Amino acid sequence: MTFDPWSFLDRQGLTVNLFCRVGPHKSCESSGWTGLRTLLHIRLVLLVSGLILMPLFAAQAQTAGQDEEDEVEIVYTLRASTEGALEIDNLDGQKLETELLPGVEVAFDEGIRFTAKGRFRYDAFDELEPGSPSQDTTSPESRRLRFNSNSEAELREFFFEVPTDFAYFVVGKQQTVWGQSDGLKVLDVVNPQDFREFILDDFEDSRIPLWTVKAEIPLGDVLAELVWIPDTTYNDIPEPDAAYAFTSPSFVPVPVPGTRFVLDDPDRPDNPISDSDIGLRLSAFVDGWDLSFNYLYAYDDTEIPFQNRDSFPTVVIEPEFRRTHLIGGTFSNAFGDFVVRGEAALSTNRYFITDNPNDDDGIEESPNFNYVLGLDWYGMRDTLISGQLFQDIIVDNTEGVTRDRTETTITLLARRSFLNDRLALEMQWLQGLNIGDGLVRPKVQYDFTDSVTVWGGADVFYGGARGLFGQFDGESRLVLGVALTL
Amino acid sequence: MLFRQNLRVLALALPCLAVLTAEHMGVARADALPEGRSVAENVNARDDGQYVSRQLVMQLIDSGGSTRERTTRSFRTYDGEDKKIAIYFEQPRNVRDTAFLTFDYAEAGEQDDQWLYLPALRKVRRISGSDRGDYFMGTDFTYDDMKLDGKIAIGDYAFQSVGRDTADGIPCLLLEATPQTDSVAQELGYSRTVSCIDEEIWIARRTEYWDTQGNRLKTLHVRDIAQVSGIWTPQLLVMENHKTGHKTVFRISDVVYKDEMDRDVFSQAAIRRGL
Repeated sequence: MTFDPWSFLDRQGLTVNLFCRVGPHKSCESSGWTGLRTLLHIRLVLLVSGLILMPLFAAQAQTAGQDEEDEVEIVYTLRASTEGALEIDNLDGQKLETELLPGVEVAFDEGIRFTAKGRFRYDAFDELEPGSPSQDTTSPESRRLRFNSNSEAELREFFFEVPTDFAYFVVGKQQTVWGQSDGLKVLDVVNPQDFREFILDDFEDSRIPLWTVKAEIPLGDVLAELVWIPDTTYNDIPEPDAAYAFTSPSFVPVPVPGTRFVLDDPDRPDNPISDSDIGLRLSAFVDGWDLSFNYLYAYDDTEIPFQNRDSFPTVVIEPEFRRTHLIGGTFSNAFGDFVVRGEAALSTNRYFITDNPNDDDGIEESPNFNYVLGLDWYGMRDTLISGQLFQDIIVDNTEGVTRDRTETTITLLARRSFLNDRLALEMQWLQGLNIGDGLVRPKVQYDFTDSVTVWGGADVFYGGARGLFGQFDGESRLVLGVALTL
Repeated sequence: MLFRQNLRVLALALPCLAVLTAEHMGVARADALPEGRSVAENVNARDDGQYVSRQLVMQLIDSGGSTRERTTRSFRTYDGEDKKIAIYFEQPRNVRDTAFLTFDYAEAGEQDDQWLYLPALRKVRRISGSDRGDYFMGTDFTYDDMKLDGKIAIGDYAFQSVGRDTADGIPCLLLEATPQTDSVAQELGYSRTVSCIDEEIWIARRTEYWDTQGNRLKTLHVRDIAQVSGIWTPQLLVMENHKTGHKTVFRISDVVYKDEMDRDVFSQAAIRRGL
């Protein structure tokens, strides 16, 4: 049986709704609601202007510019998909989700381009984000527009690309993707992640786009990518009643007998200037090696559950975000049928939950080093077999930390295509070596036409409840989906 | 002594004269077939431009007649003897923004460098350059077929001229190519090819492929060959796979030859950004 530490709060008679978090500071019915609604309307206007007005503007520009032989190309895209998931244990529905992803891409003269994409989502079961999630780790500018507990809309992308003589600028709401690894992340941390389906959703969908200014500057054979992110949005962690709520003591504090926890609002940094993130990536192709150096000065996207014990035995969880310097790099090269690749990152300040009763705030600080080594094998026709080794190491010798100092995960991916790429079979396996928990993901996908794709598969968790994967042992599921792409 | 020297000169000159006369008169005889390797070298010496940009529409037709279609923009340039190829997928939507980049090195033994940009991952992925016999993006062309772009990998094969034939009514020379080693054959997926080379323009108008078990595998038909900017340019390629019944049709249009690129399309940053 899985122990849910958050249920303790309910047993104490405290209604914990992370949308309207218990705490002395805020309420969802506060006077700030009017301002929030205004912001929601602003985002809706942005969405409409992006998807409708910009193409119209572009069409006008096209008409106006015909005499000068200016060319404006407009491409509309739409992807409609439905995916259902049944929990294997009890055959209860976990989700029945329909998504519409309309988009427009406008190519102006001189290489300037505009891209806007939206996402409308309706989930009939409402198990992944029950009710109305607070979005209190998301900046107002990036929040989703919730219509009700089942449906929402989100502006996923809204950016301009402007090539100049000295740099290639990308400005607007976008995703910035670093790193070489599959399945788990080391350097792909520029954008925060929505964990509503843990790591089961495609990263393309779970990565939270941010308002970003990016400049790619060629410096000889090196490409420098500078990133400035004034968008103070962080990981979206599922609330305690959600299907994929974290329960492992490695990720959430567990109250000791005789104490009770009260959860405060997270103290989200909100100054777009002083709280902004900056990053630099230098990448080059040298003697067959793809190399990159990465640096990010940013708030760690995971909230830190500091404990305030001033009112002991009541312990107030006061989540905060702290900055860290992340320094890392990647490499890859091909040798015969093999591709070797890797990435590593050292974060100067990371925070870990401790169960040391003498600790003031229940948190230990240490540098954190993690890396991945990957080996891809292409030795069989139309087949990829890929293995990876991940290690996540707490550098300092901290006391009472609820996770192992070194955590190791191995992954294996096998994928083969048939029938001229119409049919694809895939098996992904992630195995935690510390606790022996894991995740197995078989999948089959078939393209009926260029527009219609169907897929089916399973996401099977196993292992102890303390593990990253084992905590979702009861959430294993069968998945079936269909997508129409126009 | 002088008589003997004259005889020796005559003995050397007569066969050469005979060959020259036969070729001049257009006489086709098996023993007058040109040496295979020189034919392959002539094919490779054909001018195909320093830099070319073209639209490539790929039709993938299965044995039941069901057709899928991909529209791409492809680019090829030479960097000395080395070749760079970039293919950007524009349609349909489910493969839009996918892009392929390869650096094909001329030096024997040096493995090609290849990358694939997958929009679903938003990452440029390094892929093995040894997967030459894998089929490219669901087509009946292998990665190696795509990179060669009508040229011949001379180091991989032993060549022999084996006769004459016609392709689409046009006379051509039959050039047989056999992989140098079993491992090369396994890598390419072919145990033998026979190309019908049009000696007027040094383009293979038809090529037959046999798999590593010696079974007839594929036939490539090269049609609609026209001059663009003075360069002979195939505009229709049909590859029939006899084992699967699948067929791939490449329609090439909007061909532009240039001496220099006006933008960078052959870099990882370029395939990530798209066209």
